[in-house]
Amino acid sequence: MDTKPFTPHPNGRTMQIARVADGIWHALEDDLVVGRGHGVHRPDGRLFVSIDAWHSTAFDRLAEAMLAALPAPLYTLIDEADVELASGWRQLGFTVRRREWEFAVPTDPLVTGLEIEAAPPPPGITIVPAGEADESLLRALDHTVRAEVGAGAGWQSMPAEVRPRPEGDTIVDPSRYAVAAAPDRYLGMVRLVTATRQPRIGLIAVRADSQRRGIARALLAHVLGTLDRRRIATASAEVDESNAAALALFEGIGSRRTGSSLELAR
Amino acid sequence: MTKRPDSIEVEGHVVECLRSAMFTVELENGHKVLAHISGKIRKNYIKILPQDRVLVELTPYDLTRGRIVFRYRN
Repeated sequence: MDTKPFTPHPNGRTMQIARVADGIWHALEDDLVVGRGHGVHRPDGRLFVSIDAWHSTAFDRLAEAMLAALPAPLYTLIDEADVELASGWRQLGFTVRRREWEFAVPTDPLVTGLEIEAAPPPPGITIVPAGEADESLLRALDHTVRAEVGAGAGWQSMPAEVRPRPEGDTIVDPSRYAVAAAPDRYLGMVRLVTATRQPRIGLIAVRADSQRRGIARALLAHVLGTLDRRRIATASAEVDESNAAALALFEGIGSRRTGSSLELAR
Repeated sequence: MTKRPDSIEVEGHVVECLRSAMFTVELENGHKVLAHISGKIRKNYIKILPQDRVLVELTPYDLTRGRIVFRYRN
């Protein structure tokens, strides 16, 4: 265990910072853990840190030890509403890299305006429900979309969870994807995660050469219609604030902003 | 010498989402605490909603405050 010397603390107690394992720090006050710091590499290689501390002194001491030990650049993810935590990171030199809006997405077609008749797929394209997609065509679409993102907007503008994995294939569970299918290939996909109480639209993507044809809207109509028939009133989704098309799509169907996450970097 | 536990962890369910990224959590003993989400949970994009069953770590300074360190699958 790597420890730093005792540091005087305003409340008269002493505090010790200990690196208890690779990427894990503890702030100890009279043998009591009053703060924990973590550093973990994401699949894309970036190093994300977090600190949970019961008071600002523990936060500051943990940050001091972690920033000295870890290589830049460092990233962290916070709730924008957590003003105190945001202030703590900013004082350490972290700045906002990206903002992600969180949405509550209604499923009722009377609210969304996404009755099937109002949002049909373009001619010649059919929507294949989740669980029925051809796995090889789905993986081919995934590779194409990810190559386009890598060559275009870049993965740095995407949520960490959808970034390429080292092995290159990000289709973990094919049964979660509904797709828009042309006769010879798939053009778009939507992933719905239903493991938790509120379903989450984890991804919606369309090949670059098939965008602006209403495919994303048709996929959304399909997946929200599925939830509505199961009497699930709301789903959640996150959209990067720089993605104007996605913001317009979700806000255009009556989605409500419920919060925002900030990715900070130093 | 007896080693003191690292933390006090109790199960509860989320009653209300408050402003400033805080939550009201009702513990199994009926007590309510004010809790925020741990950095580890946030880093993993785990969302907390009312009625979620969660594990809360209580602060040693004030047993009415804590942080959510785990969300159970309902």
